[in-house]
Amino acid sequence: MVGMSVLRSVAAFAARLSPLKNRSSSVKLLSRTIPQTNKVAVRWGHEKKVFVIKATRFYDHRFLALLRYYTLLTGIPVAIFVTCVNVFIGKAELAEIPEGYEPEHWEYYEHPITRWIARYVYDSPVKDYEKMMAAIQVEKEKADMRLAQLEVRRQMRQKGDGPWFQIPTINKELVDNSPKSSPDH
Amino acid sequence: MPLDYDKGAYPEPPRQTPVVDKQTALPDPAVILSKLFFYSVDLPVTKFRDAVSSIRARNKTVYYHQKFRRVPDLTECQEGDYLCYYEANMQWKRDYKVDQEIVKIIQQRMRACQQREGASFEQNCAKEVQQFNEVTRNYQSRYGDLGGNANARKCLMKQKERMMAAQAQNA
Repeated sequence: MVGMSVLRSVAAFAARLSPLKNRSSSVKLLSRTIPQTNKVAVRWGHEKKVFVIKATRFYDHRFLALLRYYTLLTGIPVAIFVTCVNVFIGKAELAEIPEGYEPEHWEYYEHPITRWIARYVYDSPVKDYEKMMAAIQVEKEKADMRLAQLEVRRQMRQKGDGPWFQIPTINKELVDNSPKSSPDH
Repeated sequence: MPLDYDKGAYPEPPRQTPVVDKQTALPDPAVILSKLFFYSVDLPVTKFRDAVSSIRARNKTVYYHQKFRRVPDLTECQEGDYLCYYEANMQWKRDYKVDQEIVKIIQQRMRACQQREGASFEQNCAKEVQQFNEVTRNYQSRYGDLGGNANARKCLMKQKERMMAAQAQNA
């Protein structure tokens, strides 16, 4: 601003301020162009933002991708297997039990996979029933024995003629009765 | 194809297909649509089903409904015979399940009747409705408020209460 004179600065200011004259955004004076700041293309509207700033979705995508991968890793083979079983083997049909025939315990189920599980994995319901009955029998015997023991305790304590509740006393033959053998000893 | 349902319990309503009385030479759009549906959906599906059935027919298996022997009831058990209690309880549970299914079937029949009759179900379905009411009343009185942990003993006690109430009412 050293070489500027007052006149030149006033002319530059006036050139800035003149809105009606020049449409260009800069006015050419003798020495240099002065930008008219009121004529710069200021956009207040909604143009398409090219550099969008938003929160990261990297971890979300990664999680969903991993979820899909790990579920489908075993899900697809299982689905193929079940489809093949349903297409090639198919469900069983209901039939009357023939005379004199005792069906196996897995022959009471419809779907082939259920039949396989009932045959090779689970115990037969008859066996489960018997296991439960055995457990009940053991508990019953335990309870009966405990009641019997209480009754025996009661009887032995009361009558005193049994092996329990005997309090050992000293041998009467070893007692020296000489201090008490005569009245004036 | 699976077994057909009991035709006596679910009677088919009378067919209401109108007599074809075509009076124009224009094509009938209903016939066109039905033929379109037949050739695009019905025929491929039937062919696929027949193919799968022919593959399945080679590995046919059967299954049966299990028949359980009757065991002594809870009232016929000696006191302290826990094995007898267990067997009676298992039998009671099986009977409970059977009764639940019976109620469901009666309910299905009533609903089917209502669906069939449409607006005139109150007079035409009287038998089904009466059967349903009777069955549910009996079910309620026998298994009604026993709760989730119901067993034969609780049911027997409920019966005892019912008998006591009946006796008190008669006296």
